[in-house]
Amino acid sequence: MFWRVLRGSLRESRGRLAVALVAIISGAAVSSALLDLQFDAERKFTREFRTLGANVVVSPPSTGSRTDEESPVFGGEELQKIISVSNGGQSGVTTFAPFLFVVAHSAESSVILAGTWLDEAPRLAPWWKVQGQWVSNRADRQHCLVGRQVARQLKLSPGSSFEVTHAGRKINLEVSGILSTGGAEDNQVYVNLAVAQGIAGVGDGVGLVEINVGGNAERVQNFVTELAARVPELEVRPLRQIAQAEGQLLSRLRMLLLVTVALVLALTGLCVLATMATLAMERRSDIGLMKALGGAMPRLVRMFLAEVGLLGAVGGALGSLLGAVLAAWIGRRVFGTAISARLEVFPLTIALMMAVAMAGATPLRLLSRVRPAVVLRGG
Amino acid sequence: MGVLVELDRVSKQYGGVRALDQVSFTVEAGEWIAIMGPSGSGKTTLINILGGLDSPSSGRVLVDGRDIGPLSEKDLTRYRAEKVGFVFQQFHLIPYLTAVENVMLAQYFHSMTDEKEARESLARVGLADRAEHLPSQLSGGEQQRVTVARALINHPALILADEPTGNLDEANEELVVNLFRELHGEGHTILLVTHDSGIARLADRRIELAHGRLSQVSVLST
Repeated sequence: MFWRVLRGSLRESRGRLAVALVAIISGAAVSSALLDLQFDAERKFTREFRTLGANVVVSPPSTGSRTDEESPVFGGEELQKIISVSNGGQSGVTTFAPFLFVVAHSAESSVILAGTWLDEAPRLAPWWKVQGQWVSNRADRQHCLVGRQVARQLKLSPGSSFEVTHAGRKINLEVSGILSTGGAEDNQVYVNLAVAQGIAGVGDGVGLVEINVGGNAERVQNFVTELAARVPELEVRPLRQIAQAEGQLLSRLRMLLLVTVALVLALTGLCVLATMATLAMERRSDIGLMKALGGAMPRLVRMFLAEVGLLGAVGGALGSLLGAVLAAWIGRRVFGTAISARLEVFPLTIALMMAVAMAGATPLRLLSRVRPAVVLRGG
Repeated sequence: MGVLVELDRVSKQYGGVRALDQVSFTVEAGEWIAIMGPSGSGKTTLINILGGLDSPSSGRVLVDGRDIGPLSEKDLTRYRAEKVGFVFQQFHLIPYLTAVENVMLAQYFHSMTDEKEARESLARVGLADRAEHLPSQLSGGEQQRVTVARALINHPALILADEPTGNLDEANEELVVNLFRELHGEGHTILLVTHDSGIARLADRRIELAHGRLSQVSVLST
């Protein structure tokens, strides 16, 4: 009988309940999308920050990250330790590359020759723009990427060749592509590490290693601590500006999302409240009759709560599905990739919407004050 | 048969209005009482107090030996479910439930539902083929017969009818009155408010109220 009454009252009030349902679905869609964003924000932001390049630099003590002068170098043994730690399963390292900077000359001009693993460059510095071809082979000793300013100064273009000298050593390079970053790279010539090591005469020495560690600031710090313990003779520094900006932005984003979700829930509750207040007035005579027939108030309240709870559950479920679509759309617009719907957001949204619907159904409590003798005579 | 209902100096005050004033009478089990009187004389108030929908301001109302005046809201709800069957002038059916569901609703509040019994109750008032109809699909007479079936379903000690034919045409009035005659013949105790002296004449006794006071008690049949 409980379900017959429930079905009947849902059918009878379908117009008003549809309004409440639309409010709940809308609230659930926005809430679940924001919750998906909230849960996925860290991953997305970490990915965004990853595109800013390295967030850990390893170098001999008292050197900058990249200098315009020749830097002190450290040997292959330390590099092997760094590679070993970076390749560890729990390290969180997404990519890394050693660098060696050499001040060389070409056509009577000074040029900074930057040696690195050019095949790693697209991952370590995804914002680099290359006109022409990337150098995709680490063993390639012939080709190079020439910074935009250097190319202009030396009148170089893809396919042209030029000579570089340093300390009496001479190499011929062929331009594979013109590099454009808007930064210091525009004034440098990028060659593979072995080329730079050869012309600098430092054997397997490198000037610094740039590492990109995925994850939040805490994870970066953990990696730094671990690596510093393995190579105590080197300086291992997190790029704190990036790590702190990441942490602060994540924290602000989380707060913003939570406040927005709370506001959406409050507005949804108010909409349900307005609908339920009208519904309570409409149902006074039905409740009065049920009380006259011996319907105890707890039983009648259970009927209403079931109705409202069902409304919240259905609205929450439908809204969650819409929210997943909304989150994917927001993800594509804001982050360039879809936000994946989190499974735990579905039950959470349904529970939230049931709670909001119950809270919004507060006016139905007024029905407990209905006096059957009054409503049955039309009062 | 013994006294089923006893009113002892019952009064009901609504603010400055005295709806019932020192009303006393008894009803034997199986008796049919017609309650008459002009509008505002306190008939409906009397029915409401007997049905546990309202409480007396003073005096005692004993039903089956139990004073229902001091009962709590919860106990009054139980009393209504177990002891009373209501038939209202305005029918008062739940609009979104079918005829049989309206009858079953009274069962649900009493104890547990039995659809077969509910359908038998409808068959008894001549509505076996209208069980699945909504109130809006039934005529006034049919709706009132559904309320009679609903009033009977829990075998109440007391049937309280407040102008049950007030909204019916002549043909339907006769059908409903015949139902009450049958119920009376089966030994049900009925208190029926009416303005119709013809219907009142079918009762065992007639109680007349004026300005909340008992003005006359007439024995009509033996």
